Amino acid sequence: MRVLRWAFQAVFLFLVVAFLLYIWGNLTGNFERLGIRTDFRYLRQPAGFAIPDSDFRSSQSIFQALLQGAQNTAKVAFIGILLATLLGVIAGVARLSTNWLVRRTAALYVETFRNIPVLLIIIFLWSGLLQLPAIGEGREWLGLMSVSNRGIVVPWFERTGSVAVFLAVALVALLAAAAVWVWRTRRFDRTGEPPRRLRFAGGVFLAGLIVAFFLSGQPFTISLPETGRFGTTGGFRLATEYAALLIALVLYTGSHIAEIVRGAILAVHKGQTEASNALGLSGVQRLRYVVLPQAFRVSIPPMANQYLNLTKNSSLAVAIGYYELTRITGISISQGGPAPQAIFVLMLFYLMFSLFIALVTNLLNRKLEIPGR
Amino acid sequence: MPRRRLIITGLVLVVISLLAAGCFHSDDEGNGNGQAAQTGTDGDTGEGQEGGSVFQQVQDRGEVVCGVNEAVPGFGVSTEGGEYEGFDIDYCRVIAAAVLGDPNAVSFSPLTAEQRFTALQSGEIDVLVRNTTFTSSRDGAEGARFLHTTYYDGQGMMVRADSEYQTLEDLNGATICVLSGTTTELNLETVFSAQGIEYSPLPFEENDPLQQAFIQGRCDAWTSDISQLAGVRSAWPENQGGPEGLRILEEIMSKEPLGPAVRDGDDQWADAVNWAVLSTILAEELGVTSENVDQMAEESQDPDVQRLLGAPVEGEPFDPGLGLDPDFAATVIREVGNYGEIFDRNIGTGSSLGLDRGLNALWTDGGLQYAPPYR
Repeated sequence: MRVLRWAFQAVFLFLVVAFLLYIWGNLTGNFERLGIRTDFRYLRQPAGFAIPDSDFRSSQSIFQALLQGAQNTAKVAFIGILLATLLGVIAGVARLSTNWLVRRTAALYVETFRNIPVLLIIIFLWSGLLQLPAIGEGREWLGLMSVSNRGIVVPWFERTGSVAVFLAVALVALLAAAAVWVWRTRRFDRTGEPPRRLRFAGGVFLAGLIVAFFLSGQPFTISLPETGRFGTTGGFRLATEYAALLIALVLYTGSHIAEIVRGAILAVHKGQTEASNALGLSGVQRLRYVVLPQAFRVSIPPMANQYLNLTKNSSLAVAIGYYELTRITGISISQGGPAPQAIFVLMLFYLMFSLFIALVTNLLNRKLEIPGR
Repeated sequence: MPRRRLIITGLVLVVISLLAAGCFHSDDEGNGNGQAAQTGTDGDTGEGQEGGSVFQQVQDRGEVVCGVNEAVPGFGVSTEGGEYEGFDIDYCRVIAAAVLGDPNAVSFSPLTAEQRFTALQSGEIDVLVRNTTFTSSRDGAEGARFLHTTYYDGQGMMVRADSEYQTLEDLNGATICVLSGTTTELNLETVFSAQGIEYSPLPFEENDPLQQAFIQGRCDAWTSDISQLAGVRSAWPENQGGPEGLRILEEIMSKEPLGPAVRDGDDQWADAVNWAVLSTILAEELGVTSENVDQMAEESQDPDVQRLLGAPVEGEPFDPGLGLDPDFAATVIREVGNYGEIFDRNIGTGSSLGLDRGLNALWTDGGLQYAPPYR
């Protein structure tokens, strides 16, 4: 019986491999007939196009351009996941609020955004942001912030010297803060004194940062946005396309996460809520210490799914002109790169993103699992 | 229970093997076909998708599938009635008239800049006539074969008429809207980095969102082939100031020879398409127009005209062996027109674009349009 099962497995594997080989042979055969290359050498050719808001130069290779594209995709995915989680948890909790207005508002948000295709939200937001004043007549607030349809610019740090010393001292401060954290925890365990770990450790870290800043000779200053004829220099610029993409993905994915959170909270046994009420915990305490920790455990697998969706949906930015992976692959194809290889490389990149997200969420899942189950 | 599972597994396996066998079977067939085509045709008709030339496929199908643009006024636009019109569209009709004798036997397939070569490689379209620039890597790596250039173009830069920009250098630091997946994108980088001009490109896949961004002032300038810019300008919305609201800078940034392209490795089809295009230029050179073509075919004593129009010379019409009817050029000129007529009607002085012939004048008038002799 076992032999038979292995035999089946082997036959199945053989069929799959044979099928893939056939497809590959078909593809390369047709390519050869048309005189199109089947290797990946195009990746090493100079890109020839520019990518704004980056250090990428057009003389660098297409592979470097793809790496820059992956970086831009990661910029949307990482910040998008953080914000969508935040928004989703708030909306999910709000949907179960006892306050009628809060509950209804959350429901309106979730039902609206969950039922609109995300591409539509992206284009709608982008068109909306284009209605902001043009650069010449842009708004400025106290010289701190500049808003136009080129993007939103806020003050940011500007490097004026070496940051190595600063980073070294900051690292020491971080270690010190960690030590304080452990010390407060131990003391709490021993004496029952309120731990106040965040306050103590945070204070130590902040103090350390200030010391580091002056010790290393003030390696950066704050740069304020200055509006010129074509745009703003200085500060940190949130380009219109990036902002539209990010906000759209956060709103859309947030509405899905809200439903997951709501389901997960409802899955926590009612007895838990009643027990925490009986203990006299406040509403916030009940959520923070009893309900949410149990709800999160349930919600991690479906959340991982949403994170993957958000990352992959970022490819819809091709509609509005943000240089992410899919856009750069598209450009490289029309610049003479072979389409099947380029799409294959694109798939590998997205696969890496997906595997990384799966890895992180799986680790989190394992950590939060109830021991012994 | 285990027994039942065994049966089910067995059944599934049988089905899978059958499927796989089917695949391998068709694989063998495919190879056989390929070999037959290679040995049987000895290279001169080339090998298309199903072993024959596209020429034969088109004739069997009774229709040319033409990859076109649908958003460039003058060159290729889809009208409200779902029809297509423009300079490139007329060249699709020229090919259909030459190969099938009917200028309307065309199926138009609108493509984006990024889709076009994949569509050509995969055989989805027979010929690409979509303001496509002839470059070496498209000829080589993309497996395309470019034919006679129908329009010699150059890249330009368009700005709002009320802006102060006069030269490219004035655009230092500007944001420039560009259609993605075009040679335009590369020329922009080449020219601007060579001159040390800082800029920030804003890429779009379609002209419509690009136009929206430009109107809203998201970008300061719009770069493309000058013919395309002229087309966009001619159709500029009235509430934005109409054509007068835009200005095209005088500097020309690149060479852009635009022409039809077919797949590599099918000489018979490439020759047919090429000579269909050349016949319109020869006709203009010889003074044959859609109005006088029938009269010329009957009355002309000029042997060049007689050969081109397939009129019998000493009882036999001239046949250069292209596989086309001897009178294909007469059909083309009668149904669509000669090069000058097609140019004027769509993009020249007879149209809203009002482009000069410039480089596209006949060689006899100091331009570059020069067709090899038809003999």
